[in-house]
Amino acid sequence: MSDSDYIIETTNLSKSYGPHVALENLNLKVTKGATGLLGPNGAGKSTFLKTILGLIQATSGDGTVLGHDIRTDGAAIRSRIGYMPEYDALNPDMEAIYQVKYSGELLGMNPIVAMSRAHEVLQYVGLGEQRYRNIGSFSTGMKQATKLACSIIHDPELIIADEPSNGLDATAREFMISTLQNMVHNGNRSVMMASHLMDDVERVCDSMVLLHKGKLAAQGRIEDLKDIDREIEIHVWGNASKLEEKMVSIGLDVRREGRIMRVLHEDEDTTTKILSCAAEVGSQIRRMHEYEASLEDLFIVIMENLGYEVKTSEDLLRSPVQARQVDAPSHMGGGS
Amino acid sequence: MTEEITESEQSFSEDVSFSEAAPVKGQGRMDAAWGSQDGDDSGTAQVSSNTASVGYVFEQIYKPWNGSLNPRWMRNWAILRHHVLGIFRKGHRPWGLPTKLFMVLVFIASLGDVGLTLLSALIGSPELHSMWGVNRDNLYGHVFGFFPRNMLYYPILAALLVGGVISEDRYHGTSAMYFSRPISRFDYVMMKYISVAIIQAFVVLLTLMIYYFVEIIAMGRGWAWIIDTFPLFLAAFVGGIILVITYTSIGLGLSSVSRGKFFPGIGLVAIVLGSKTLAVLVSNLFERDIMYLLSPYDCLAHVGQALVGTQTTYDQYSWTWSFASLVLMNAFFLYILSSRVASMEVTRE
Repeated sequence: MSDSDYIIETTNLSKSYGPHVALENLNLKVTKGATGLLGPNGAGKSTFLKTILGLIQATSGDGTVLGHDIRTDGAAIRSRIGYMPEYDALNPDMEAIYQVKYSGELLGMNPIVAMSRAHEVLQYVGLGEQRYRNIGSFSTGMKQATKLACSIIHDPELIIADEPSNGLDATAREFMISTLQNMVHNGNRSVMMASHLMDDVERVCDSMVLLHKGKLAAQGRIEDLKDIDREIEIHVWGNASKLEEKMVSIGLDVRREGRIMRVLHEDEDTTTKILSCAAEVGSQIRRMHEYEASLEDLFIVIMENLGYEVKTSEDLLRSPVQARQVDAPSHMGGGS
Repeated sequence: MTEEITESEQSFSEDVSFSEAAPVKGQGRMDAAWGSQDGDDSGTAQVSSNTASVGYVFEQIYKPWNGSLNPRWMRNWAILRHHVLGIFRKGHRPWGLPTKLFMVLVFIASLGDVGLTLLSALIGSPELHSMWGVNRDNLYGHVFGFFPRNMLYYPILAALLVGGVISEDRYHGTSAMYFSRPISRFDYVMMKYISVAIIQAFVVLLTLMIYYFVEIIAMGRGWAWIIDTFPLFLAAFVGGIILVITYTSIGLGLSSVSRGKFFPGIGLVAIVLGSKTLAVLVSNLFERDIMYLLSPYDCLAHVGQALVGTQTTYDQYSWTWSFASLVLMNAFFLYILSSRVASMEVTRE
């Protein structure tokens, strides 16, 4: 992949607020398309967003967004991206159409062009019939849609959406997600979506970046990353405890929830080992299938592991078993 | 008329007679509507064609935009237009109705001397004209007079205008909309400052200009008079600019430390009128006038008196002290303003 395919690229990017290190040696390469920005509170997501918007100066390291240097070309970056903030960023006393128009004018659009484009984008986000209503009378979903309209009025190449589905009901959330998907797949735009809602990230994004304590915890395609913890799920009838003990005794990594157990799929022999153990202890295996981890599972597993010491994404991807044993404690299958 | 019933009609219903004289029982129409012998056994329903409108179906299509964005001056112009035109037109910054009403009232009230000048010209009364016509003292009074202008009009108008200009961006989170665009903090502050100052200038300076030019027109003043008085007008005008700048600096400084518009507004009025009251009290009780240096209004008045050349109230001190005090006050509040705006967040407040 050539360098021009990366929309965001950072090299040893660090940001400190006095003694507090918010970002530490971040090496990121974000490709075109939809990317989820994940991480627990305090992971450094907001600092990262501010840094790539060129709003704060990095303490050390370099970075580019759409080919612009984050240290010197902040204004150029902000002209080419659309930022949808997490919190309210709308004047409740203004009508939606004028608010969106003004957001375009603030980018340097001619007022007439901005007005015309405001009609288009409000139509696109489903507020065509509501555009002359005061924003103060909008529901949360409509406000989110208005913020999205403000961020896409100039047809940016990259849309940074900070918690776009936060606080929305099911219908509004569905619409927001499908709109973001539509922008990526039909509009050919790139989206970086920071969210705590894993389902939403999984539906919109192909790739993800996981930050933890200011460090890069994982990065890559979601499908690839989910493979780090492939498991086999079995539904057991009878002697479940004995079966669990037996499987653990031969070195299988087992997670048990009643009669349902998930066994780490380490190699091709794992299924044979499970069946042998079941035969030995006299358990019936009523059902056995590959368990497809959700992004939430992946997030939980990574965060459990990384709660002790952050490892690189290379470690996580190279060998799942080895990765688990780097620094996770023994009760989680780790070696330390 | 002969009864001619065709074969098909006969087969339609044997009981039904279609003759003109046949009794109307409604049976024929019922048969026509609900039954016939044709097609009853058919498995295919006969339905009318669908010509009714099915309404609007939302189709989400992303439309790209290939226009180009204008440079910095256009973005700054947008901020200025948004704030200034909001006073007059819909679709821009929604100023509150009380603010707009008060501005109209103050504008009309500030034209009081214009009206009386016109009246004196119309009735030809030199006494009335000497009281209200353009002269050194009246030009000073139009801008710097304490009652009612700098007690009831200008500080309160400034308070209403500046109260929410920065604080509401913080409160509503609209600061994120500015700073996630290619707008620097300096441009943000500068354009907001100029916008508010221009709106105040409509009231303070525009009415001064009207006052001066109405005198010329109504009294038929010649070049000699204009040459004599124009420097006075200019001095009052410059004084008015200093007044607008000072009120704007104090007001925006207070607005930047708040999340509402009440505190900055009441704070500005309290500083202007409170410090003036304090200076008067100290002067009366202790016969010390030095406290006036802490009063923005007194300093403005002192500088204005020096500029226009009227009798100075605090003639034991040089006007330059007042000017220095004004510079310090402006610098202090501009420092607060800039440091607070610099700390405004994009991601969250």
